[in-house]
Amino acid sequence: MFASNRRYLADFDWVLLGLAMLVAAFGILEISSAEPAPGLWRRQLVGFAIGLMVIFVTTLFDYRRIVNVAPFLYALGLVLLALVMTPLGKEVNGNRSWLFIGSQGFQPSEFAKIFTVLMLANYLSGVKKRPLDLRTVIIAGIIWAVPTVLVFLENDTGSALSYSSFMIAMLFLSGLRWNWLVAGILAVILAIVLAVPAVKNCKSYKCERIKAVYWPELADKKYRYQNDQSEIAVGSGGIFGKGPGGSTQGTLGFVPEVHNDFIFAVASEEWGFVGSFLSLTVYLAIITRLIQIARRSRERVGLLLVAGFAALLLYHVAVNVGMVVRLLPIMGIPFL
Amino acid sequence: MKQVKEPSFDPIEDLRKAGIRLEVLRYLAIGIFVILTGRLWYLQVMNTAAFAEKAEQNRTRILTIPARRGVIFDRKGRVLVTSQPSYNIVISRKDVKNFSELSDLLVANLDEIDKDWLSRRFEAAKFEAKYESIVVKEMATAADVSWVEAHQYEYPMIRAEEAPRRFYPYAIMAAHALGYVGEVDKKELNDSASPFNKEKGYKLGDIIGKSGIERTYNEILMGKDGERTVVVDSRGRIQREISRNEPVPGRDLYTTLDLDIQKMAEDQTDTMPAGRGVIVVSDPNNGEIFALVSHPAFNPNVFSLSSKTDEGKDKIRELYEDSDKPLFNRATQGTYPPGSTWKLMTSVAGLNEGVITPENSRIQDGGIQLGNYYMNSLSNYGMPDVVTSIARSADGYFYRLGLKMGAERFEKWVKIFRFGERTGVDLPREVSGTIPTRQVKENITRNIMKRRKTENGQPWTEQDDEAARKAAKWTEYDMAASAFGQGTNAATPIQLLRYVGGLAVGGRMYTPHLFLKAEPGTDREGKSHPEAKFEDRNQYQVPMNEAIHDIVRKGMWQAVNAGGTAGAAAVEGFDVCGKTGTAQVASNDKAGSKNKDHAWFMSFAPRDKPEMAMVILTENAGFGGKQSAPRAKPIYEDYYRRTRGLPDPAAVVSAAADVNKQ
Repeated sequence: MFASNRRYLADFDWVLLGLAMLVAAFGILEISSAEPAPGLWRRQLVGFAIGLMVIFVTTLFDYRRIVNVAPFLYALGLVLLALVMTPLGKEVNGNRSWLFIGSQGFQPSEFAKIFTVLMLANYLSGVKKRPLDLRTVIIAGIIWAVPTVLVFLENDTGSALSYSSFMIAMLFLSGLRWNWLVAGILAVILAIVLAVPAVKNCKSYKCERIKAVYWPELADKKYRYQNDQSEIAVGSGGIFGKGPGGSTQGTLGFVPEVHNDFIFAVASEEWGFVGSFLSLTVYLAIITRLIQIARRSRERVGLLLVAGFAALLLYHVAVNVGMVVRLLPIMGIPFL
Repeated sequence: MKQVKEPSFDPIEDLRKAGIRLEVLRYLAIGIFVILTGRLWYLQVMNTAAFAEKAEQNRTRILTIPARRGVIFDRKGRVLVTSQPSYNIVISRKDVKNFSELSDLLVANLDEIDKDWLSRRFEAAKFEAKYESIVVKEMATAADVSWVEAHQYEYPMIRAEEAPRRFYPYAIMAAHALGYVGEVDKKELNDSASPFNKEKGYKLGDIIGKSGIERTYNEILMGKDGERTVVVDSRGRIQREISRNEPVPGRDLYTTLDLDIQKMAEDQTDTMPAGRGVIVVSDPNNGEIFALVSHPAFNPNVFSLSSKTDEGKDKIRELYEDSDKPLFNRATQGTYPPGSTWKLMTSVAGLNEGVITPENSRIQDGGIQLGNYYMNSLSNYGMPDVVTSIARSADGYFYRLGLKMGAERFEKWVKIFRFGERTGVDLPREVSGTIPTRQVKENITRNIMKRRKTENGQPWTEQDDEAARKAAKWTEYDMAASAFGQGTNAATPIQLLRYVGGLAVGGRMYTPHLFLKAEPGTDREGKSHPEAKFEDRNQYQVPMNEAIHDIVRKGMWQAVNAGGTAGAAAVEGFDVCGKTGTAQVASNDKAGSKNKDHAWFMSFAPRDKPEMAMVILTENAGFGGKQSAPRAKPIYEDYYRRTRGLPDPAAVVSAAADVNKQ
């Protein structure tokens, strides 16, 4: 028991935990700066503690045993996602993707994401083929598609797209043929190019959010506002920022949703280019660290699991920062 | 079994290949971070100045703190004009989404606000693109203000804005002297000749004096608004103050007006038969104006208290459209033939020029045949002397005096008296009047002929000039008419006030003025000023030796106290001296009171040490002796009683009544 404990401590990746705690702490600090009322950052602090506990509990189990129960977890995720569609589901900020236990709300899609990563790792590690055949790709596609469609129906585009990030990464690492991948990428590019005229003329809020970034002059002022204000927040931060607590764009309500989706805007405003570059660097360090861990893995299942989460994290950071700095349309994607 | 089925699968090779692909993933991650960093560099390093400015504009608002306008007092320190703290309820247009909901809200919560009126107000505001805020209520009640402040969080688009109001406690009284205030015109801001142009630091929305001493002494009265810079949130709610520039209050001003005399004068103009007339009263020893009434007058509060409401706008329009022109200051802008009041000028001129002498001033009175025209005279006293002629207003005497003197000498004295020139009274837009001289007659004749020719489309030639000169030839009739106050002669009441004051004190002509002093203080540029007093730079002397002065005083004294034309003005013990006049009205309108002559009475008292000079003009009323002289009497009486400490007859009567009751 003692020996196994020592091994546990030795094997534990303290660097990774340190980096993760660094971003979590920075997140809480910035939330408290954006919304000084204790409600939000205290909740974030509680979440942080719960997260730490989950990490330690999880590390007590062999990850292979968790992957083995993945089908049950995956099924549970689907049930929760389906429950959202029933009258039990609640709409928050336009997304009907919430369930409530008492007053505590949560989004099943966040859990279903993890369960889907586990499920894909479970399935793909069992496939002893390289390159992948069509049948495997289709089955993996179905595993991916069911939760994705459910999330999409809940109007949560940002989360629905996040499922693609790890799915593509995991298929790619499992030996997806290069020409299929290139064909897929070309198809997506072609679809985007063909969709451009339609998006320009379309007036739905999703189209407006896209136009607000790429064709601001065509967009409705109402939708441009968030992008404008977020851009001003980031830009006005300058090189060194306005200092902790110095945010005006965030604290005075010009930037919307400062405590979650747009927290990076407040962070950039207060810490400037130096701060935002450093925080991106920490994220990059976490992701490359994860990739390094994946490379050292002696089994396909471990490799896929870690790489899937790395891809998911990369997607979250890219989309969230991208929308704050006006490179991508606004989607509900939390940063920290 | 499995290995047989999939012989090609090698786990080691699989991991190796996967490892290579992980490198691809790593480069993808690095690529994404480079792009994001590039964008951050673009926003935060390359363009930070522009964004910083936008952020600053977002969060700060500059609000003005209105400066208090100086108080205006009468000469004894009684408040004539003051500023009241007041609030407007204002809507910031940008933040209103649904006007009809908002108007329901306002109707339900503000005192006395009408829904129809509000909807019209909002409708009208659509065309006021310039302004961000719409005033929905002026002079809000305390309840209104506290409601708005209590609901700042729910309805940030409704604000209570401080807007001190100019308040004239006596309303209509002395309105033309005091004037009124209003927002500066765009036209004036852009006019470099205007005293209120942009270069002088005036800006749209500034409240300035529009007329009266409010306008003349705007620089003294108007303070400099302060500013506070505040932080607002995204909905415009004020979070905190960053900096504050305190306003500089305007300086208080004392006028020469005497409220007691002003009140008496107002009472007298109220009873004028045509409802139009002027009373001006001054101190002949320095030109200080005690009272100035131009009737009908206006209520200046209408402009300052309700210029933005429909009701107020209607009232202002009525003032502009009224045919009696209540906004027009008859005392300084109205010109009337001086009639017989002019005879003193002719007398002083004749005596100075030696046409007549104090010892020998007898001239034939009565009608006179001038060529083929017989000029009638209402009087015929045989061969009266100058004193009698003044007292009895002997027209025929002055016809002949004028003819004897001739145009040359006559005109010289018109100019010495400075008729036809502005007195320099400290009120805006004073006019200069017209004088009966050859040059003026010629100008008028030429202009009439020119107009006629241009109407017919003919050019004006040198021959026409010659013809005009001939047509305007100065005749004996012109000379005789000019000598007794008709002809091309029109003077303002304020000119006659200076004139009669000069006659009273022996020829010293002081500039009539309303400014007594201003308290020390800081001006709008931040320069500090000591107490300011009126300096009369325009005073002058009309030559008048003791003998001539005696004749003037005697004639005018007799007019009032010895069976002359102005007996109705006599006050026992006060030696009122005066001269009546009747200004002939040339009118085609034969019926109606507008055709009647204007009645003049100019006077001073007491005779030997004058304390007060007065001019009364009753428009379209008839003879001066009958219409204007009686109005002087109560004003003199009241002044005499108060300054000599005599009991008030009204008070005596009521005291007696009290005694009887007991």
